[in-house]
Amino acid sequence: MNNQWIQRLKNEFSQAWAVAVKDVRVYYLRPGMIMFGFLMPFFMFFSFSVRRQLDAGDGLARLLALTVFFTAAAAGPFIIPTERRIRTYDRLLAAPMSLLTLLLGKIAVGAFFAIAVSTVALTAGLLIFKVSIARPDLLAAGILLGASAFSTLGLIFGSIPTNNPGDVQMPSTLLRWGLMFVSGVFIPISEMMPAARAIAYLSPLTYAQDLMNHAVMGSGAINPWIDMAVLLLTSILLLWPSMRLHKRAQVLGR
Amino acid sequence: MRNAIEVHDLTKYYGNHLAVDRISFEVHQGEIFGFLGPNGAGKTTTQRMLTTLLKPTSGQVFIHGHDLARDSYPAKRVMGLVPEESCVYTELSAWDNLLFTARLYLVPRGERAGRARQLLETFGLWEKRDVKVENFSKGMRRRLSIAMAIIHKPALLFLDEPTPGLDAQSARDILGLIRKLNSDGTTVFLTTHLIEEANQLCDRVAIINDGKIANIDTPENLKRTFQRVQSVEVSLEPNGHNHSQELASLAGVTTAVKMGDKWRLYTEDPSALLPLIMDFATSNGLRVVSLNTLAPSLEDVFLEITGREVGVIQHKPQDNQPARRGMGGRK
Repeated sequence: MNNQWIQRLKNEFSQAWAVAVKDVRVYYLRPGMIMFGFLMPFFMFFSFSVRRQLDAGDGLARLLALTVFFTAAAAGPFIIPTERRIRTYDRLLAAPMSLLTLLLGKIAVGAFFAIAVSTVALTAGLLIFKVSIARPDLLAAGILLGASAFSTLGLIFGSIPTNNPGDVQMPSTLLRWGLMFVSGVFIPISEMMPAARAIAYLSPLTYAQDLMNHAVMGSGAINPWIDMAVLLLTSILLLWPSMRLHKRAQVLGR
Repeated sequence: MRNAIEVHDLTKYYGNHLAVDRISFEVHQGEIFGFLGPNGAGKTTTQRMLTTLLKPTSGQVFIHGHDLARDSYPAKRVMGLVPEESCVYTELSAWDNLLFTARLYLVPRGERAGRARQLLETFGLWEKRDVKVENFSKGMRRRLSIAMAIIHKPALLFLDEPTPGLDAQSARDILGLIRKLNSDGTTVFLTTHLIEEANQLCDRVAIINDGKIANIDTPENLKRTFQRVQSVEVSLEPNGHNHSQELASLAGVTTAVKMGDKWRLYTEDPSALLPLIMDFATSNGLRVVSLNTLAPSLEDVFLEITGREVGVIQHKPQDNQPARRGMGGRK
């Protein structure tokens, strides 16, 4: 019995991996992914950094948090509605694997994308701006956990029962922009009014930004263990609405 | 014989709309089962429920004995699905599409390449294996879609409208492939609105109309049941004149339908009608070019059951007014 379950787990892992690799090959170079995932964080960063006296390390920490956030959250709202529209999603849903496996595969796609793009941002920071990293271990944890948490966040929008990516791109972009402004990316949370700070603590991006501050500059406003715990919990808890929305789609037939 | 599919009181509501109304049927292992119905009758809704893509409102489905609601995993492992549209990844090559599906359906690593090659050769796609699917024709995509659905050698294959939109040769190739799969032991559940396709392929046919199963039987038994829809086909010269009213008023004719340069006269007794047609031709100075008696086709049976129109004008005079012809309305 145990062997059966171990084999089943191996199978499910292998299927999630197959889904992720397929999506990487099919979707990473699509205009929607490049626009919302690759270019958007750089646009946002430069538009808010121009004419501000930012320390290079501070700038890199912000750029990394933004990159991980925007890039990871871009995959779900683009890929799943696209696959629903061309009906390739049916093939995935009918395959002998659990819904959780399919969703983990989809989360991996966004996370890999975020890790790849943030590596580009990190390399630029290290080579061009000569920034030194205070805590490489926290940097790795921040990128991995942030990529996972924000990819799971994007998956919620991708799970909305629609086959038109446009229906979910707009609300997901609005949410991302909203979170960006309340999460201490442009105004450090130590400088926020108490009410704004209370809102900031509700956003997972706050913890990703704080973790990047610890990693790059060696200091942050929150204990880094709390940052990591919140990002990990976000990755797990935000799976639930995606599962519910998929079940709803199964009832509605979309 | 064990059933590949058992359906009990399957029902589906979309909001207040009843799409499938307590249908029950079985599909035997090894048969090609046709699920036939007009657009909007509930065919695709039923098929999506059988393949776990749609949750039924109520009712039970068993696939090879596994209750789909309680334990869908073993059921999914024996199924293959060819959706209505050719659901292939156009950015990938045919080879990569097949290997991805092989991984998804847990084909052992050592067998994937061999099976992919065999399928591509069988389906005439081997030479194009490395070409991106976006450059494939509709027929090639359809063949690839079927190959993807059977790479794990499913015992039960669901096919949703496999041939619409294909040219005649591609459609014929696909039908040949379905026969071959079936002869190799695969049970086929074929959803179609193409009556002739069902007639040619299926061991048994279920006709669904307005969400209910109207009839299930072999195509030949269905035709026998509907002997009242026999017909006589006659071609007259000169054919420029409209004889609709006169032909429809011959004794025993229930409906007269103009079909190209011929007339099809529906009757319960063709032998009694033949002399009347000859008399009509003689008295009107017409030459009978051809005269054939026709047994009911599956299309006739289908239209009789579903009461659908075939898009032609009925010429049975009724209060001197020609009316739209609905096959179900023939009495």
